[in-house]
Amino acid sequence: MTIPGFIFRNALRNKRRLTLTVLSVALSLFLFTVLQTALREMSQPQLSEQSALRLIVRHKVSLANVLPSKYQSRIARVPGVKRVSRLTWFGGIYIDGGNFFAQFACDADALFDILTEVTTNPDQVAAFKKEKTACMVGIKTMNRFGWKIGQKITLRGTIYPADLELTIRGVYSGGIDETNLFFHHEYLDEATGWHVVGCYWIQTANADAIPDVIRRVDAMFSSSSAETKTETERAFQLTFLSWFGNIKLLIGSICTVIVFTMMLVTASTMSMAIRERTREIAVLKALGYNGRQIFGLILAESFGLALAGGLIGCVGTRFLAQNVDMYVLSHGFFVRFEVTPHIVAAGLLIAAAMGVVSCLAPAIASVRASVLDGLRELD
Amino acid sequence: MDQPIVQIRELSKVYRHGDIEVVALNSVSLDIGRGEFVALMGPSGSGKSTLLHIIAGIDRPTAGRCVVEGTEVGDLSETELAAWRKQHVGFVFQTFNLIPVLTAFENVELPLLLTGLSARERRDHVEAALELVGVADRMKHLPRQLSGGQEQRVAIARALVTDPTLLVADEPTGNLDAHSAADVLVLLQTLNRAAGKTVIMVTHDPKAAAYARRMVHLEKGELLNEK
Repeated sequence: MTIPGFIFRNALRNKRRLTLTVLSVALSLFLFTVLQTALREMSQPQLSEQSALRLIVRHKVSLANVLPSKYQSRIARVPGVKRVSRLTWFGGIYIDGGNFFAQFACDADALFDILTEVTTNPDQVAAFKKEKTACMVGIKTMNRFGWKIGQKITLRGTIYPADLELTIRGVYSGGIDETNLFFHHEYLDEATGWHVVGCYWIQTANADAIPDVIRRVDAMFSSSSAETKTETERAFQLTFLSWFGNIKLLIGSICTVIVFTMMLVTASTMSMAIRERTREIAVLKALGYNGRQIFGLILAESFGLALAGGLIGCVGTRFLAQNVDMYVLSHGFFVRFEVTPHIVAAGLLIAAAMGVVSCLAPAIASVRASVLDGLRELD
Repeated sequence: MDQPIVQIRELSKVYRHGDIEVVALNSVSLDIGRGEFVALMGPSGSGKSTLLHIIAGIDRPTAGRCVVEGTEVGDLSETELAAWRKQHVGFVFQTFNLIPVLTAFENVELPLLLTGLSARERRDHVEAALELVGVADRMKHLPRQLSGGQEQRVAIARALVTDPTLLVADEPTGNLDAHSAADVLVLLQTLNRAAGKTVIMVTHDPKAAAYARRMVHLEKGELLNEK
């Protein structure tokens, strides 16, 4: 037997309590990892290399305000602009509200010349361009709903007063988001009769042209009734995410409550475990174990227990994320669900801290208790 | 008597519970020689266990001196006392106090984990100790799989395995039937006579005390006659 072996035996003496405690810690760390991953997904938009050349032109007031469609031709003439497409969030419902995925009206001819990082079938793209009611769908959404090429789907309008019947003509994959649906802006214009645009999507000729394009586009509409704000794709996504409000604080608060609650549970478990062993600890002291060694035994047991829970919770979540389609599982809420090593490390660090802090009070009490008092517990 | 292994001079112990003082030991002086088997006898509350605890370094005197192998035990810090106990004292308790999740072998090995011995050396020491107390064939058993007498033998092996200066036993037969009690007392006697171990045993049972070479009686915290 070794000292670690002795600690292990002690930890295993009440298997039911051990299992429940480890699972409690695991569950709390699972929630922590999921929430941190969600927070990351919402606050750190992932961008491709190609997106560095793209700009978004939106209404200066907010994303909820629309722009006139006549802006497109004027934007296209700005030096440094290679292509421009309308891009309007439709926000329709497919069957019911739980089937959320993003739908955009766009210029079919320009879309895949701007969105160059995705992979498409040229024949499908050609079919998409030819048909006004056609749409292209990301592979994840296709798989999620089990759609097939040629299938007709209906999107019920919530923002726009129109229900759109679309025919799936192609699938795209790759890029940073494989969940979107793109359809012809002309179809939206006809269905609603509104002829408005959510924003314009610009592909610039090169990175050097970006500052000048931003300045020129915004200057061009500065005296109009719909002033614009042109920004990089990353800045635009961050603006979009800011709509979620101070979700970081909310998630941080939930994480703190979870961790604190689990610390109390672990501390309670360790207190019970140590109290049951008062006389055994006294015997160990009588055999020559000093306070530091007793403290070490208790600390190691608590640390190991919390870390085991942490490993199951954090590494389990990472394993889940790597082996399960979280997009489908979360009904489209998580697109990437990337449990990074950084998040796992943070979870394990919290588990370790939980293990240390939760045993401090009972361990110190055990070290301070006299051998005689401990031995009297048995008589 | 040669230079005594335990020298107790004017030893007193007073427990205070608020305003109430309980005198457990009152100016006790006693010498115990190397290789002796001493029975500390007396009725309940006579101070015999308190005296044993001070000699074994798990309690401190209020006044007086207790020197064991030249060390003034009361002067040591808690950490020093732990190290001192590891080297000089082997405990045998009334309720055995084996760790329930460890086998007999592992219980006996427990004090050796603090030493620098290799696994092979530890195994040799543990097997020898279990052999000496006659339970080598039970070394893989958990305490709950042993009889009371066997448990106490394992506890004696645990006390012996570090080859301590003193073997202290607090009512070692209190939880045993007459037959097992006699076996354990014979074992302690053998360890004293054949192996030269210094044994100090607390008991209130004259039959158990009869196995010792020397009986020391205490009453109300004071030393009475000696046999």
